[in-house]
Parts: sequence; structure tokens; C-alpha cells
Amino acid sequence: MYLQSRISAIILILPLVLVLVSLTIYPFLNMVYMSFHNYDLAKGGDPKFIGLGNYLAIFKDRLAVSSVEFTAILVVVALPLEMLLGMGIAWLFRNLFGERVIRSLALLPMMVPAVVAGIAWKMLFNYNFGPLNYLLSLFGVPNISWLGDQNFARLGIIIIDLWQWTPFVFLVLYSGLQSMPSELVEAARVDGAGSWAVMRYVELPILAPLIWIVLIIRLIDVLKLFDIIYMVTWGGPGSATHSFSYYIYKVGLSYGWDVGYASALSIVLLVVVVFLVNILMRALRLRALLEL
Amino acid sequence: MIKFLKYLLASLILFFFLFPIYWLLITAFKHSEEWFSWPPILIPTALTLNNFLGLEGGFYGGMASVVNITPYLRNSVVVATVTALASTVIGAAAAYAISRFKVGGIQLANWIISVRMLPPVASALPLYLIFSRLHLLNTQFVLILAHLVLTAPLSTWILITFFNDIPKELDEAAFVDGASPLSAFFHIILPLSAPGLAAVSTLAFIQSWGEFLLALVLTSNADAQTLPIYLGRYITGFRIAWGPLAAAGLINMVPVILFSLLMQRYLIRGLTFGAVKG
Repeated sequence: MYLQSRISAIILILPLVLVLVSLTIYPFLNMVYMSFHNYDLAKGGDPKFIGLGNYLAIFKDRLAVSSVEFTAILVVVALPLEMLLGMGIAWLFRNLFGERVIRSLALLPMMVPAVVAGIAWKMLFNYNFGPLNYLLSLFGVPNISWLGDQNFARLGIIIIDLWQWTPFVFLVLYSGLQSMPSELVEAARVDGAGSWAVMRYVELPILAPLIWIVLIIRLIDVLKLFDIIYMVTWGGPGSATHSFSYYIYKVGLSYGWDVGYASALSIVLLVVVVFLVNILMRALRLRALLEL
Repeated sequence: MIKFLKYLLASLILFFFLFPIYWLLITAFKHSEEWFSWPPILIPTALTLNNFLGLEGGFYGGMASVVNITPYLRNSVVVATVTALASTVIGAAAAYAISRFKVGGIQLANWIISVRMLPPVASALPLYLIFSRLHLLNTQFVLILAHLVLTAPLSTWILITFFNDIPKELDEAAFVDGASPLSAFFHIILPLSAPGLAAVSTLAFIQSWGEFLLALVLTSNADAQTLPIYLGRYITGFRIAWGPLAAAGLINMVPVILFSLLMQRYLIRGLTFGAVKG
């Protein structure tokens, strides 16, 4: 019986393992190999070993540095804003609307496929006919070239990210607030705590693990940001809105076919993400969640 | 008074989050002269279906720049449906093995979910190289395989939490009655976790349906390109045909929105890797 279970279990898990090994482990090893080689599909020829050359080139590459810079801006500006807004809205909306209604509405922006969101925002940002410039003109603001100016284009990408993902932060924390044991809050109130104190000393500490998980999930997502940039700004104007992912795409898969260098960039991104994923794993308390 | 201010603030917030969707919706039904107008027409009075039918002309570039959507829609339906089904089957089998027999333990579970979080751009390049060597680029099959890497780990992960909620005594009773692990899986676990199976296949469908980067890299024409790539093609060009573009965007968006509203309870659970039980 034991042997039979063992065999069935292995048969059952085999398809998943095969798919993942063939489509992640093998490509990954291939990428590590390429990252130490000079291999450019546009120039042809065989991969030539150059040691750490590709990795060292990153530091001298002005575009790579600027894409790291823009990605860092997203992490430092968009991420904290999303977290704070999401939290604020969760507290504001509590007891203001029915739970089902608010949940359905908040789901909308985050479920719009990134490509479609890009189209919608490209229309809103339009210089001559866009509703956003119209709204601003009502307040006497002259038309802004949202996608033509470096700083506004960066701001535009940040606004889109806020629009799409603040609802995610909101929804998770809202669900957390809804399932908060009411005895705790009532006990605090009986002891004379005002609503600020209840939030600060009762609700926030209970929500802390959730906030932590959302923060890391969003951080990993921001590092992957690609679709919106491709659709709305094409990384421009100039290289102002190249995210790190967009730059890898550009180097390895569209304007250039420098496989070696793109692989080295990808490995750098992977190392950062794997590090963050490990933190997330700890935050998720994997063992308890899966009862393993 | 405070209550009033709260509602005012809440309306402003809702306006910000819903207006872009509203704008896409109305643009899809606007006549061409209203796509570009100042002041913008916020509440259109004359609506048309021509944007969906490819009949609305009158913008620079003419109809030649509007490509027929049908093959892309078909590719999207095939790829997303097969991905959803395959992901659910593979995921359910693996989840059963992990949930009941603890195959691979914590390390395997850890690895499976890590895969889900890897940046797609990092796998796009090596996948492109491998599939070009195998002469499989630009096929629906390749896109399905690539999407499985994104969806199967998440399906597995969510189904583990579902299977764990089913009392072990049930399958043990079946074993006592002489059932094999496989028949316990088919006759007890699967029927009892129907909502979970529906949830993960919906989630996988949504992910595959909206996926952009891998589809962009691995496909090159109407034989295998999906709707998101079709939308990307409109954006280029001299002057953009906003109406048909918004209409196509709407077609791309509607199934996802419907599915996610139906599955909203499980969605949060899925998106937080099970940390929030909705």
C-alpha cells in the first residue's frame, strides 16, 4: 500500500515537474552559460567566452544605469504611495459602502489587462484631445505633454501603476479589516481608546503581516514592469521610462539581439527577485500555510 | 459633516479609479469625429457599433490600417482555454501528491511557487532561443507551454490549500474500502473541490488571456498572435484609430472582468498566494 501510494504520488506530480524543469531550469542554465559569453544574434557567429565581461559592461552602460534609476524611482515613489493610499482607502471605505459593491468596484482596475489599461491611459494622456488635459485646463493649467516630456512621462507611468495596483493593496487590507475579530476593537474602546489609538495599537499590528506580504508582492511586480511601458511610452521619450525589464527586452529581443549581454542583465534581475521571493516565503509562513 | 466629507472623498477616489474604464467604454461606441475633439465629449449622445464591425472610417490612414480581429480572437480563446484546462489538470494532480503524500516536502513547494514569481522577461529570451532551435516559434502550442509556466505553479499552490481543507478521514475511509490513491483522487477529492478547480482554471484563463510579453516574443503573425498583441499593433502608426482600438480593448477586457467578478472570493486568495482566505 505504501509503495503504491508513493508511486501514484510521483506519477501525479511528474507532469508539473517536467513542464517546470524543461521550461525553467534548462533555460536558466542556458542563460547562465550565455551570460559569460559574447553572443549577438544580429552579428552571427558562435558564442565566445568572455568571463565576467558582460557583467562588467553593465556598469559602463549609461542606458542600463538609467533604467536602474527609473526602476528605483518606481520603487521609492510608486510603491510607498500605493501602500499608503491603499491603507488610507481601506480605512475610509470601511462601513461606508456595502462590502460586495466596493469589492467588485475595486477589482476593476487591477483586472483590466495591462495592454488595455495602456490604451485607456494613452487616450487620457493625449496632448491635444485628452480628458486629463481638459480637466486641468478647467483649472487654468496649460496643456501638458504627458508622454513627450521626460519628467511627465515618468510621472505618467507612476500614475498608471498607482491606478492599477492601489486597489490590490486596498482589497487585501480591506479583507483583513473585515475579518478582524471585533472583540479586540471593542475591548480597546472600553478601555478608553479613541479611533486613532485603536488603529495604531490594535488594527495595524494585526494587519502587519498582511501589509508585509502585499509590500513584497508589489515590489516583485514593480521590478517586472513591462507591458504598460511598452504600450504607453515605448520607454521614451529618449530613455526616460526604460524600466530594467524593458531594457532587457530592448537589448535582447527587439532593437538588439545581444543574447550574452541581455542574459547577464537578466541574471542580475533574477538574483534581486529571488532574494525578495525568499523574504516573501518567510513572510507567508509557507510551512503553516501548506500544512507540510 | 464628517460623514459628508468622507463620501465626497470616496467619490473622488472612485472617480479616479473608474474613469479610465469609462473612457475606454464610451470611446468604443463613439463616431470617428468624436474620438478627437476639444472639449472631449464626456457623455456621448450618438452611439455606434461600427467600431466593432470595422466600419467606422473618416480618420487619417483610412480602413487599411485596421486589421481583422478574428484570427487573434481565435488564438486567444484557444491558448487561454487550453492553458486553463492543462494548468488545472497538472496542478490538481501535483497538488494532490503534495497535499496527501507530502512529495518533495517544503523544498518542492517552495520551488514551485518561486517559479511563479520570476520575471517573465528573464525567461522570454532563453525560451525564444530554445523554441527557435526546435522550429516551434509562432505556434499556439509554444504559447500554451510558456503560459503554463506562469499558471501551473499558482494553480498547484491554491489547490493545495483547497485539498488541505478536505478531511483526510474521507480518503482514508476509501483506502480501507480498497480504493487506490488514484481512485480516491478521482472519486473523492476532485468532486469535493469543484469550487477550487473552477477558481484556479478561471485564474489561469485570466492570466493567459492578458499575457503580453511572452506572446510578443514567441509569436510573429496571425497564426499564433493573441489579442493583446493585436492591440499593440494598433498603437503604432501615424494616427491612432481610437474607436476600433477601444472596441478591441473592450473585447479583450470583458471576459476577464466577468470571470473575476464571478470568482472574486478566490481571487484575493490567489493573488496573495493563499495568505488571505477570502
